[in-house]
Amino acid sequence: MIRRLLFLNGIAILGVVLFHSSGMGFVAMFAWASRYLPPGASIMDQVGSLSYYGLRMVEQIAIVSIPAFLFVSGNFVAVSAGRDATMLSRKLIYSRIQNLLIPYFLWSVVVIALNMITGSKFSEISVLIMLLTGGANEIFYFVPLLVQFYLLSPLLIRIARANPLGLLIVCGVIQTFLQLLPYHVLFDTQLVFVGAVYKLIPKWLFISRIFWFPLGMVAGLHSPAIKQTLVRLRNWAIAAAIILVPLGILEWETLFRRSGEIWLAHRETVTDNLYSLAVLISLLALRRIPANITEPFESLGAKSYGIFLTHGIFIEYTAKVIYHAAPALLGYQIALQPVFVFIGLAGPLAIITLIDHSVLRKAYSYLYG
Amino acid sequence: MDRKSHLIDFIKNEIMHNSRANLDPDTDLLGAGILDSIGILQLVAFIEKMFKISVPDEDVVYDNFMSINTLVDYLRQY
Repeated sequence: MIRRLLFLNGIAILGVVLFHSSGMGFVAMFAWASRYLPPGASIMDQVGSLSYYGLRMVEQIAIVSIPAFLFVSGNFVAVSAGRDATMLSRKLIYSRIQNLLIPYFLWSVVVIALNMITGSKFSEISVLIMLLTGGANEIFYFVPLLVQFYLLSPLLIRIARANPLGLLIVCGVIQTFLQLLPYHVLFDTQLVFVGAVYKLIPKWLFISRIFWFPLGMVAGLHSPAIKQTLVRLRNWAIAAAIILVPLGILEWETLFRRSGEIWLAHRETVTDNLYSLAVLISLLALRRIPANITEPFESLGAKSYGIFLTHGIFIEYTAKVIYHAAPALLGYQIALQPVFVFIGLAGPLAIITLIDHSVLRKAYSYLYG
Repeated sequence: MDRKSHLIDFIKNEIMHNSRANLDPDTDLLGAGILDSIGILQLVAFIEKMFKISVPDEDVVYDNFMSINTLVDYLRQY
């Protein structure tokens, strides 16, 4: 299972790039539609189009990425705790957090600076809030989220060792409850505050994704028993993962249309959680995967943090160049998406490779962890 | 090259990205932040590929991966 985690990390970072390429596709589809739609055309007519559902499908499939990253990190904490230890060394936790935060702060400042150069204005307070909550761009929330879990890990590791099932049940119930809160809109109540619920439980707050990190921890601490369970559930998990993709799309579309909001940026739902769990089980329980398939993903997985921190910049500015130089392309997701995905992967990989083979190599860990 | 040298070489080049780094074989790799969640996975993959050893999941623990010397001692059984 351990060996499979690097492969999982590679799949997850590809998922992140796909997810954010889709997100930029939605920006092109709605916010930038005036650049290519004829005057008077209704932007919202694109909701329900083939391109729309194509992008939603990609988002739905890729939704497993953050759970996967959290699972791998939780597993690492289990490894770090040692065979019999119930205590995690503070030094280890702080060095891990430091290794996460230095590149995160650096790239956050780069993103904020680029935004300021292109006209955005921020107060000092708003910059501070952005840095604390991952607000420099829409994806950096993951770092403050992960830091919170590392800070909680000394407590979590003790519970994971003493009562793993209890820990997972409690975390699963909390996460599911929070994700069920917006579902009232399905019952025609007058309480239409889906957007407010999501604002109250921001993505960067640990409680919003409390299940996955402990799950990785439990899997790491009780590996032999977990492996047997994974193998037993494998075929069910594969079937569930396939079925839950269209169900997840249907669920989100229903929530969105009943929410009364003009647009609802995607948040994980209960179905998404079941899907992510099914995918994790499937990938970890698969029998031997040929090396020519695993090795490219393992190579990606090894650079996943660097790709994570920088791919958004490449996708965003590629989109902006297209907006100005070739706006007609914005209306063709079939052409746009491959460009975003290619740039989103190749751009960071090229820079990472360049730095790794240059005099700047010593700065690698400050830039990419 | 013996296993210890291979491991030191790999960690310096692929994990620390600094072939001139000063890496003491008794350095706490996890405590010093040299091995992170990705690094330990890379190291396991390297050991399995280079030394043709299949490392059981339950052996990937701090006790065996704490330092280069600890790791070399652990790998002696293979």
